[in-house]
Formats: sequence, structure tokens, C-alpha cells
Amino acid sequence: MNRTDEQLVQQAKEAFDASVDKLDATTLSRLNRGRQAALAEVARPNYTWMHWMPATGAAAAVLIAVFALRGPGDIDVISAPASDLEILLGEESIEMLEDLEFYSWLDALELDGDGDLG
Amino acid sequence: MTAEAAVFAVSCTATPEGARTLQQERQLNQFLAEVERRALRIAEIAVRDRDEALDLVQDAMIKLARNYGTRNSDEWTPLFYRILQNGVRDWHRRRAVKNRVMVWFRKAQPDDNDYDVVESAPDPMGRTPDENLQNSEAMQDIELAVHELPRRQREAFMLRTFEGLDVAGTAIAMGCSEGSVKTHYSRAIHTLRDRLGEHWQ
Repeated sequence: MNRTDEQLVQQAKEAFDASVDKLDATTLSRLNRGRQAALAEVARPNYTWMHWMPATGAAAAVLIAVFALRGPGDIDVISAPASDLEILLGEESIEMLEDLEFYSWLDALELDGDGDLG
Repeated sequence: MTAEAAVFAVSCTATPEGARTLQQERQLNQFLAEVERRALRIAEIAVRDRDEALDLVQDAMIKLARNYGTRNSDEWTPLFYRILQNGVRDWHRRRAVKNRVMVWFRKAQPDDNDYDVVESAPDPMGRTPDENLQNSEAMQDIELAVHELPRRQREAFMLRTFEGLDVAGTAIAMGCSEGSVKTHYSRAIHTLRDRLGEHWQ
């Protein structure tokens, strides 16, 4: 940039700064109001998950509708996990869990290949 | 209440989260107060309408606070101007569409000559009317010439000259490379020198 260009830039900047200084009170007041509105955004909690609520609600409604319309014939599908839960919570299962160390040891022996427990 | 109890009560009410938000709000307020007037004039030169420029600046301030308020304050200036430039760009797009529709229906266009650049309020800096007139005329010249620059040149010139951003900051604000900023800026100065003529040198 040569000297003429520098002068041009300098003059433009001075004219611009002067125009900024001359802004009237009404404009400054409106700017201030805009700034306060922006600052209110900082204090406001950012619940981004709330944006997904309508979509999640709609998806849940569709799922409920599908299950309701499929009829009693398909109830077994839903009850299957329930029966698994029953087995898991049965007395025998709890006993098995208590002897977990023993079963692990048993597995390890079988993997070694001798399988001779005597 | 003992002194310890008072300290405990204060520490319970003023959580670290609350203190951080307050500090952040204070910093953001200071930043926006420093930048808002120049931003308004930059937007005004780009769209040539003060009310529209005010809306654009307010929108940019809100978006900055909402999306980038937690960022390091050093990043705010280029981010703010990027948001503002995007707003100006969208405004021009909407206006172009509107104008096409207006032309289609052969409706009258708003007259740009009615645009009043010089406010009639007394000068807060205490300049004489003659000085004000000279400054106003000079600003009208430069404003018109800058407005008529191609968009990217106008952005580069205003961000570098009026806002005083460096090349790197201008590149972030414009969403382009530093090399492009230098090219646009150089071309802008060349064009302005040709348009503004001798009385500017």
C-alpha cells in the first residue's frame, strides 16, 4: 500500500469514527436495549434437550399406537423378556450367582482339556 | 450469626456456576458496548437503512450471546462480525427476492435518495458546524463508494479499516482465507481510489 492509499484509508477511518461519534441518543438507546436483550440470553438456561421433546413425544406416541394396534396375539413377544427376568430372579439363579467362583473354576478346568475332576 | 456462618450462607447462595455466569455477562456487556456503535454503522453502510441495521446488530448480539457466550472473549470480535456479515448477506438475499417480486407486480420501489446519513442532533464531540459539514460530506462520499463495492471487497474494507480487525480476524469474520482477505482489501482500496477522485488525497 503506497502513501496515497494510506492517506485514503486514514481519511476514511477518520470520517467513519466521526460518524460513529455522532450517533443520536435514540439510536444509542435502541442499541442499549438490544444489548440487554442479548445479555438476557446468557442468564437463561440452555435447555437444548427441550428442542427434542416434541420429536421424542411423537415417537413415543407412535410406538404406543403400534403396540396397541398389534393385538393380543403378539403379547408373547413382550412377555418373553419378563419370563427371562423370572428365571434370573429365581432362587436357583441366586444360588448360582453365589457359587460363581466355583463355576468359573469349573470352566477353566474344562478349557484346559483334562476335564478330570477326580 | 457468626462470621463463619455468614460466609457459609453467602457461599451457598453464590454458587460457582452463578458467579461464572455473572462474570461472563459482565465481560459480554463490556464487549458489546465497545463494538455496537461501529457495528451499527458498518451494517448501515451495507444495507443503507438504520432501522434494518439496528435489527441486524441486535440479532447478531443475541446470537453471539446464545451460541458463543461461553467462548473465550478473544474470539468474540471475529465471531460477532461473522454473524453480522451473515445477517447482512441474508438481508440482501431477501431484499433481492422482494425486489424481483415487486418488479413482477410493477410496484414502486423505495427511493434510496430519501436516505438520511447525517443526523441533525448536536455534535457530542463539540465540533463546529463547518467541521461537521466537512466530515458529513466526506462520510457521505466514502459511504456511497464503499456501499457500491462488490460485497466481499466491502466486507474486507469495512472490517479492516473501520473495525480495525487484523487479516486473521477478518478472515474468520468473512469465512475465507487470509490470502483472499488481502486480495479483496487491495482491490477495494484500488476501486475506492478511482471512485473517490482527487479531493480525497
